[in-house]
Parts: sequence; C-alpha cells; structure tokens
Amino acid sequence: MKRVLVVDDSLSVARQLEKIIAESGDFTCVGHAKNGAEAIKMNHTENPEIICMDMNMPGMDGLTALRTLSVMDKEVKVVMVTSLGGVGDKFTEALKLGAKNVISKPFEADNVLRILREL
Amino acid sequence: MAVKFFGQFLIEQSVVTSDALLNAIDLQDKNNLKLGEMAVSMGLITASDIQRAHNAQMSKDMKLGDLLVEMGFLTLDQLNDVITRQKNTHLYIGEALVQVGALTSDNLQKQLDAFKADQAGYVSDGIELPIASANNKIWEMTADLTYKMVTRVLNLRFRPGKCTLATSISHNFMLAAMDFAGDAEARYLLSVSEGLQKSIAKAILNEESVDGEPVEILEDTVMEFINVVCGNVAAKASQMGIIMNINPPVTVHSPLGGMPIPDGHKALSFPIHIEDGDTMELILLIKE
Repeated sequence: MKRVLVVDDSLSVARQLEKIIAESGDFTCVGHAKNGAEAIKMNHTENPEIICMDMNMPGMDGLTALRTLSVMDKEVKVVMVTSLGGVGDKFTEALKLGAKNVISKPFEADNVLRILREL
Repeated sequence: MAVKFFGQFLIEQSVVTSDALLNAIDLQDKNNLKLGEMAVSMGLITASDIQRAHNAQMSKDMKLGDLLVEMGFLTLDQLNDVITRQKNTHLYIGEALVQVGALTSDNLQKQLDAFKADQAGYVSDGIELPIASANNKIWEMTADLTYKMVTRVLNLRFRPGKCTLATSISHNFMLAAMDFAGDAEARYLLSVSEGLQKSIAKAILNEESVDGEPVEILEDTVMEFINVVCGNVAAKASQMGIIMNINPPVTVHSPLGGMPIPDGHKALSFPIHIEDGDTMELILLIKE
C-alpha cells in the first residue's frame, strides 16, 4: 500500500480525498496537514510516498511548500489538487517546481486514482 | 470536470508527460515574443526605449503598446504591424508539442476535438447585467459558471432569477465569501439557507445524510464549493487575458438586519431559485 499525505485547509476536501484513498485498496492515507508548513513537518514524520496538496491555503501555500519539498526530499511525489489548476501559469509553475501532475477541482474519484496509480 | 488549459488536459489524460509539456512551454517562451521584444526584433525600437516605457508604466495605467505610441517610440501603424506579427508567429501549445515530438499532427487534432468536448460545458451562454462595467464579461462568466457548478457539483435543479442591483445584503443562515484581486476586483458572496447548506454538504461530502456533521464541516463544504467556483472563474478569466487572484474562502456572519453595501462598490444580486422552493443568492460586490 502506497502511503499518501493529504494537504488541504478545507476539512471537506480532506475528507473526500481520505475516503477515495481509503476505498482504493492500493493506497493508505497517513495523515492530513492543513497548510504547507504542516505538510513539510508531516513529510518528515510520516514519510509518505505521495503528497496530494492544495495550492491556495492560508499560512504557507502549496507552491511554497512544494518548492521546499523538492529540495528537501527528492523521493516524495507531489500532486497538486486545486481549483486553480486551470490557471495556466499556476499549472506551469507547479510542474516546474517538481509537481508530477495537477488535478483540478471539482475532481472525480476515478480520475484522482488513475493519476495516483500512474505516478 | 473543471476549466482547464490544453496542456493540463493532455497530462491529466496521460497523452503527454509533464517533462514533454515543460519542453513545449520552453519552446513557446523562446518563440512567442512579447510586444516589446517583437518590436525590437523588427528593428522599430531599442531595448532602452522599452525600459523607458516600462518606467513610465509605474505612474500610468496603460498597456505597453499604447504607451510606446504615446511616447513617440512607435506609430499606430507600426504598433498594429507588431501585433499582427505576434499573432501570425504565435506558437500554440499543441503545435509546440508536435515540434518537440510529444504528439503527432493527427493525434493533435484528435486531442483538440476531445478537449473542445470536455470544455464545451464551460462556454458562457451570456447573462444580462444591470450595470455598464469594463469587466461585465467577467461578471457574466462568474454567474454563468456558478450556475453550471450548481448543476454539476451540487446536482441541484434550479432556475436563475433576473440579476438586479442590490442596495443591501440580506441576512441569511450562512454567507461564504472569496475575494478576487488583480485585473478585476470583487468580493464573491454566496448566501444560503440552513437547508441549502445541508444540500451542499451532502453533495460535496458525497453522503446521503449530514445530520451528525459538526457545524465547521457543514460551513467548510459551502466555502469549498465557492472555492471551486472561484478557482474556475480565475482559470476562465486567464483564458480571456484577465489575471484574477483569489484568497482562501471565509464565512461572513451578517446581522439580522442585513449588511450595507460598502462605499465604492456596486452589488449585483443573482437569485438562484432551487427546484424545492428554496433560494440561494450569488452577490458580486464589485469595486468601482
């Protein structure tokens, strides 16, 4: 089972993602961080293989956290999950910072799992 | 099921890799010259002329091209020639992907058709606004995308009411708000009853019942719904050449008597009459 960390300030999005991950059969959710700073800490303590991270969060946002994670941990695979995915320059910036993919909200479970399985 | 740009669609569909897309974007960056760069490459102005125009932009809210004409660096005909050359030599992302070998020409057309079909639901039908504003197209699109998300995300049947100019913001069970900043500034407010808050929560959480859910989760689902709408508005606006940034959503607690419209703002009210008789309201507080 691949270990996934969910990072989103929205409790309801975290619930959605945790449910999708729990019901997948091949992924397990190792925790929920509410902003980028918590994500960096939990990446250290929970050692996830995949991070599903929102872009737009209060405190440290997703792109700032991604920038740090890409330097600190070359192994972890980050997928951005965001309502801003369709904004071209945000999408490109995320890829340039090392994100493996960007999932736009609203998302569908099948699409999320397909992308996670392709990592 | 969201507003996307073509490169993102191709990655999500696993048609191209992120590395291939970044290569194609690099090629685009090298090929697609900005207006000033194009004018220099055509031998019409110098880099120092551009710098002087950029400096002048600090105190004048004008596009670079208009400023270059006003400052006498370009004639209007020359500006039009530069813009035409930019358009004629523009390398689109699909063509760039073909040039870097990530797509064949045949597959490009097939993927463009699939992309068009995927995004067809996000083409605006047009909404009539009671004000004349430079950004009316953006506000019409905002209302239109809200309607589409009410259908697609919340699975609610509704009839949009006529847009009117509001003189105050009526009290309701919950108001969720997000601010747009950048080229078009406004506060997006969604006003919902207790029943509609539960309908939104059921749809967002994909649950049959939300009766035992804590208040913070129920409120969060409404905020997440407007976050999705506003993110997609920002994406659609960027496709229209308008930069709109968003901040995380917040809950606004309105007094029983409602709230006044802040000075320097106009409020557009879009009633959304739900099939079961309830009504939610989209309010756009537009900065004048």
